[in-house]
Amino acid sequence: MLGCQDFCGYYDWTFHFVRRSWGQEAVRRLWAEAIGGESQRHYAQSAAEAGLRGLYQQWTKTGVEESCDWTFTLDEAKNVLRFDMRECPSKGFLLAHDLNADEDYCDHCMGWTVPLLAGVGVEVIGHEHNHCGQCWGTMRSKDRPTEPLEVEGDIRRDPRWQRGFLHRWENDQPQLLLPSVSPSYDACDVLAAWFATAERLVILGRDSAASEAAGRAVLTTGRVYADRSQCPVEPSAVLLDNDEAELVGVAARFLATPPARRPLLLHHFLPRPPLMDFVSAGLPRPVPILPLLIRHGLYRHQPGGPKPDVTELLMLLAAALNKSL
Amino acid sequence: MSAPDFYFAVNAIFRHIHDCYGRESLIAYWRGLGEEYYRRRVERWKAGGPQALAADWREYFAAEPQAEVEVAVADGGVELDVKVCPAIKHLRDQGREIVPYFCEHCDHVGGAMAEAAGYRFQRQGGSGSCRQQFLPSPPIKESD
Repeated sequence: MLGCQDFCGYYDWTFHFVRRSWGQEAVRRLWAEAIGGESQRHYAQSAAEAGLRGLYQQWTKTGVEESCDWTFTLDEAKNVLRFDMRECPSKGFLLAHDLNADEDYCDHCMGWTVPLLAGVGVEVIGHEHNHCGQCWGTMRSKDRPTEPLEVEGDIRRDPRWQRGFLHRWENDQPQLLLPSVSPSYDACDVLAAWFATAERLVILGRDSAASEAAGRAVLTTGRVYADRSQCPVEPSAVLLDNDEAELVGVAARFLATPPARRPLLLHHFLPRPPLMDFVSAGLPRPVPILPLLIRHGLYRHQPGGPKPDVTELLMLLAAALNKSL
Repeated sequence: MSAPDFYFAVNAIFRHIHDCYGRESLIAYWRGLGEEYYRRRVERWKAGGPQALAADWREYFAAEPQAEVEVAVADGGVELDVKVCPAIKHLRDQGREIVPYFCEHCDHVGGAMAEAAGYRFQRQGGSGSCRQQFLPSPPIKESD
């Protein structure tokens, strides 16, 4: 039978199954209709009965049942219900069990919450998640004005907030992941836009030397990028590994490079420690590449199994972008 | 994290796939769970035989709220006497409308796992209590 103890694991697998079987819109429909419309209907009932207070009571009950390490704050005078998640048990289950079947597990939360709340006159004012188990969100009843709410336990002041990459929502709408590159929330679109004009790619540090880079967009790893003797040209993109030592050299070179010539930083965000903090090294949060590889069927995560190294991942990225090497 | 309200989502996902994409798609989903998602459990069953299979189900049901299940090794296979199905019980207790084909997920998820591990799956009963068997697969007859 399908139990509830490993639900989060096969929930993630289910999203991937639905996406690969019926496409991107199908998984959004699953979240909105099956989860928001049926499974979580007790939230809608609570909101209909008692507004934000009803939602507060329902979410705090769920938090106890699911052992959430979070704080829910209700300020009815300001018309704000806020959560600050320190360790999401759901994403935590995936991290603890080396699971990563779907492109973006964390998206399911707003995927069911926004449509459900919209049906009871509640709006998500703001929300961010870092894909590493930390997130925050604010909600309001749409029929009354709202005031900003400051909370002592704002997760964005927690060192763990610096990990991962951020997806952001405002007023029920997903926001652009990297506006300077693509008008999209979707990391796959960002990668496609960044490499749109590159006809051919070369991966420095594999078998290719810098002399072969002429006329091609250069991809390389963080380790190679940090060593200017191995990477004398300015690459188009750099795939960072789970290597805190390489970050020093990467940050030194990246920050010394004029912004217009800086590479796009990438990371695999594989569910294995250490969960990297790029922000404290002075770097922007990298763009994830696994969603694109999974979407194109080029990467299937094998829990507990061997993982491709960063050079292999760059080759998969080139294939996913449909670029020749 | 054994939060029984997750059974609400299980039931709702079955209904959604069935109603949007049809019964064959729902069966494909269930079999995919058995073949792909539960691959590591199947590997343990294959490596450890019926004792491992039984131990796995004892551990699994022990973590399911309100489950009452007896697991026994018998005749080279494993039998689960599900006296109280935790999912059906919780859905009923909470007044949820259970999809009429809910119990069939065990046939297909468990069936796919059984086949991959070298067993056959059978179920008698349902709707809250049932008997499930993982029977040794009959030897494949060689063609003349």
